[in-house]
Amino acid sequence: MRRIAIAVCLLVLGSTVLGQAGRGVIAGKVTTDQGDPAAGVTVQAKDTAGKISSVVANGKGEYRLANLPAGTYEIAVPQMGLRTARYAQPDVVIEAARTLTFNIMLMPNNFGIIGDDAGFLQMYNKYAGIKGPAPRTRDGHPDFSGVWLANVDPNPEPAQMLPWAVTEWNRRRDRAFEGMPTSRCLATDPTLTLPVFYKIVQTPTLLIHLFEQDPHYRQAFLDGRAHPQDLDPTWMGHTTGRWDKDTLVLDTVGLNDKSWLLQATWLPHTEMLHIVERYNRPDLAHLNIDVMFEDPATFIKPVERHVQWLFTPGEELFETLCAENNKFLEYSAFK
Amino acid sequence: MRNTMVVSVAVASVLAGTPAVAHHSFAAEFDITKPVALAGTVTKIEWTNPHAYVFVDVKDPQTGAVTNWEIEMGSPNGLTRLGWTRTMLKPGDAVTIEGSQGRNKANLANARSVVMTATGKKLGAASSEAAP
Repeated sequence: MRRIAIAVCLLVLGSTVLGQAGRGVIAGKVTTDQGDPAAGVTVQAKDTAGKISSVVANGKGEYRLANLPAGTYEIAVPQMGLRTARYAQPDVVIEAARTLTFNIMLMPNNFGIIGDDAGFLQMYNKYAGIKGPAPRTRDGHPDFSGVWLANVDPNPEPAQMLPWAVTEWNRRRDRAFEGMPTSRCLATDPTLTLPVFYKIVQTPTLLIHLFEQDPHYRQAFLDGRAHPQDLDPTWMGHTTGRWDKDTLVLDTVGLNDKSWLLQATWLPHTEMLHIVERYNRPDLAHLNIDVMFEDPATFIKPVERHVQWLFTPGEELFETLCAENNKFLEYSAFK
Repeated sequence: MRNTMVVSVAVASVLAGTPAVAHHSFAAEFDITKPVALAGTVTKIEWTNPHAYVFVDVKDPQTGAVTNWEIEMGSPNGLTRLGWTRTMLKPGDAVTIEGSQGRNKANLANARSVVMTATGKKLGAASSEAAP
């Protein structure tokens, strides 16, 4: 499981003299495990206080973070899509008045299976240059309609869970996460957070998510209704929404305890789970979503995730019926 | 409170290594420590969800015995976005495939790389990560 990217790193201390005392530079090239330039990935340097400096690699996979105070950093490349794992290298020392050449090779995630990732970076780079103001609906609210390429939280914080939940999570890990509901063609997680495509259809009273996994839709009621009393727990729960200025706040309850919180690193939960999502579109290209998972029977404190989706207006969803030819239960080593 | 701290550390130490998957855990189905490289002839394509499969006859160079391998790939939607079509591979095509061996079924593997033997063209290549 520990295939995060402690990959081949080439560290060469250069001798470039910088003009500003007490600060240094880290620069290099990011490649995939196939040796191709990983254009468009984000490279981060996190200092010991937790402050993150970041830059996006260019078309040749080259990056440069300048003007960093001398010190010790964690150099990371957040996971983008499904094909490459998150890279993280702690204890990288950046010296004053020097340039550290630090090349990064990303390691394959998920075995690098062809087609499991759908070319995330290719799609991301295709649409990353979109610019413009966020569109609005006739009633004046931001319009989230369209096809979006989602991504995971670039810096997920570990969850703090009660002992039963830690035991359950370890059990899932020890069984290679074979029990995830989607492997049995059951529902994806209720917050729609894999790095795949989602389509939003927005009306004044209803927000609909369409997606290529079961159950293929989620509806959020924006007409002012309250959650019904005594809900029967379901996979996707019951979602209502209200506007807080330009932010749409979605509130979900009525969830069963069978779903895995995929975005929140496949965590377990109980029927007490309450999810609050805040959708904000700062410009044409981006949709920022802040998610809070609150479940006092599972989490010591609420788990938060912060993701950014990219607008991909040239893409469309495909029909995807999982039960058509699912061989996983037959081929899995775990029975 | 002491227990709480222990719990937090324990979880923090394992979460970083969690792979993301679109549909299921490949680690439950395939063994990454057992790489396979297969050269053979396509016999059948299953262009289906949640995964597409390519079946390939592989001849043992020593004995001449032919074994039919089943090769798992991503879903048609993912493959299509990488430029694949359902007719890209046809029965009779010669291919070379690299991947990992299945855990629970003989002659099952996944595909990390598929190359057309005749042309040397790599299908759905990882170079899709590069900028267009």
